[in-house]
Amino acid sequence: MSSQSQSFEDLAQVVEHELFPDVDLALRRGRHIDREDAAWYGFLTDAQAELERFYRRYGAELVQRTDGFFFLLPSGDKLGRRHLSPSEMLVGQGLTLLYLEPATVEQGGVTSREALLSQLSASMGTEQLMLAFNAKKKRLDERLAQEMVRARVSEAIRRLAGLGFVELLPEDRLRLRASLMRFAEPVRGSGAELEALNRLVASGEVVLTSDDDELEDDDAELSESDSHRKAPSSPPPAWNEGAEWGASFDPAPSVADDDEAPT
Amino acid sequence: MPPPDDAPPPSANPSTEATALLALASRAPKLELSTLDLCFLATLYLRAQSSGHAAFSEEQLFELFEQAAQIVERDPSSVRKRATHAIARLRAQRLLSRVDGAGLLRAGEYALSRLGASIVGFFLEEEVLTTETLTLLTRTLESSLRDVLLKARDARDAAALDQAVVGQLKVTVHELMSGIERRQRGLDLQQEQFQKEISALLSADWFGAVDSCQALLESTASTLRDLNHVLLSESHRLQALLEDLQELALTAGATAAEEAIRRAADQIDRIAAWSSGRQKSWSDYYQYVHRFLRDVVRLDPSRALTARLRDQLSGKSGKRFTLAVASTPAPLLLREVAHGPERPPVKRPRAERDTPPDEQAVADPFAVLEDSVRAKLDAGAVSLREVTAQVTQELPEDERFRAAGRVAQVVAKLARTRSERERPWLAVDEAFAIEEWSLPERDGVVAASKRGTKVGGG
Repeated sequence: MSSQSQSFEDLAQVVEHELFPDVDLALRRGRHIDREDAAWYGFLTDAQAELERFYRRYGAELVQRTDGFFFLLPSGDKLGRRHLSPSEMLVGQGLTLLYLEPATVEQGGVTSREALLSQLSASMGTEQLMLAFNAKKKRLDERLAQEMVRARVSEAIRRLAGLGFVELLPEDRLRLRASLMRFAEPVRGSGAELEALNRLVASGEVVLTSDDDELEDDDAELSESDSHRKAPSSPPPAWNEGAEWGASFDPAPSVADDDEAPT
Repeated sequence: MPPPDDAPPPSANPSTEATALLALASRAPKLELSTLDLCFLATLYLRAQSSGHAAFSEEQLFELFEQAAQIVERDPSSVRKRATHAIARLRAQRLLSRVDGAGLLRAGEYALSRLGASIVGFFLEEEVLTTETLTLLTRTLESSLRDVLLKARDARDAAALDQAVVGQLKVTVHELMSGIERRQRGLDLQQEQFQKEISALLSADWFGAVDSCQALLESTASTLRDLNHVLLSESHRLQALLEDLQELALTAGATAAEEAIRRAADQIDRIAAWSSGRQKSWSDYYQYVHRFLRDVVRLDPSRALTARLRDQLSGKSGKRFTLAVASTPAPLLLREVAHGPERPPVKRPRAERDTPPDEQAVADPFAVLEDSVRAKLDAGAVSLREVTAQVTQELPEDERFRAAGRVAQVVAKLARTRSERERPWLAVDEAFAIEEWSLPERDGVVAASKRGTKVGGG
């Protein structure tokens, strides 16, 4: 596998590249690809122009951030998309805070689950943290609630690792990756915070949630997340009893066509 | 980290290690040093270096202890008493030894032991590998190896070669390589310190620390680059010399020299591996910190991002939001249709499972025996023994004894028998004997007298 820069003349060359299938599948599954994925990142950088056109046809945007990572953002209805669950968001923001800490720099971007829990606890307060991860429980047993927090944090870390925000290392350690900066995007910049947030909402990168959503149980979070996957808006072609082979795949005549029909 | 200088080679016998550990454990050694003790030892070490005298009188020891206590604890109370205890403690732990040998005769002179000097050396000496020290050490090493090679070439037999190689490799070459390894550990510690320093600089002065951090990174990266370069070129030359030596040892069959050369080659490999490993890990760290400084620190000079994100997380400010990510489920891969073995359908058997029992004629063994006895009697047998012998002869051996009784019963039924007052016991075969009856000759059917039969096993 060559790490040297390669120029692609057309999409066919990109698709024929040995890395294309893996990179394409990873992007479609929500994976963020950064400089740590040296070969994939190099391929995306080289083929960026071709791939941007390619994914635009699927109604998706291949986004590159200056922090040094790529991700795919479906805005149409041809590719599936989901929104991160509340627990994933909390854990992601906690990890981003750790990413910005000088103490993490000492370890070269490596941290631990304990450090994450400490960070969450320090930022949110222990009580609020336990409430956030035990939303539907009215009476909390402290020990059980703490266990639940740890379990849900671990589960969220696992899912975030699948999306390329962190890398799981042995002995419960985590390597924080540049893509975590997505969690800080709405509060970034010198302008008003709302302005940045509105811009991200308009681009479809971020969705506003209400406080009620925070009370969703994690199981519900998953099903809710799945429900965010948009179903194709155009109905499937009508069944034509096979009278005309291929007719069912033809585009339906538009209203404009009807209008233009000779009278 | 490379193993300690005196560590045995990997091929060392585990039983030897166990013996050495047992011997060490049996002496129950332990070290217990307070900060003041260490500082006192360090005072002795530094004073010995500056004055050129390694030994100290008791009075000097008390004086130096007082100085150390003043600096460390700023507590002048009962110094004399504490000094006495400290000196006794250090002597018991063999960190301080009496060197005059005068015993009780007069106040003694004391000096730091090798152990004491090593401990202080570890804390005080900053032996860090630099390009200059490394070049000097490797050049000296090369010159020593050339010297060994010359002597090895002059050696006439295996013993002479062993003598020429082993001692010098063990003392000179290993000492030099241990020196390199010790400095490597120093450099490792220094790098660790640099990482801490970078973190501390950023914590103290976020944006203002960028230049200092970059300077630290550059200096270490440049040191490592130079070291790696020197080691790559020098280790190649050293290995070539060792290969020449190895060839001579192999030809002469000098096994001790061969082993010493192999150990030296391993040590050089280890040094080179350390260098490339550190170069890679520092290179990764260097890139990471540079990215952090560029993408995080420079873009957020006032650390406002961290504060806003913390407020967002705690719910103090901002609207709740969630990120959108692509989520295409993995494609369904249908399995190939596997054709299993054809099995007959399960059905109820039509035929009756239970068959009715058949009637079969059964031969009565007693009647068969009776017919047989009758035939023998008709044939003219004259004694019970004769009849019994003939009838049981056809039977299996284990059934003969039981059949003999039945024969007697049938004979008594079919024929008239007679016996003497003293009935003799006669053997029928090797297994058993019977009481003999005589049978009178008969004309046709003979009336039988009811007589008992006695049968005895042989």
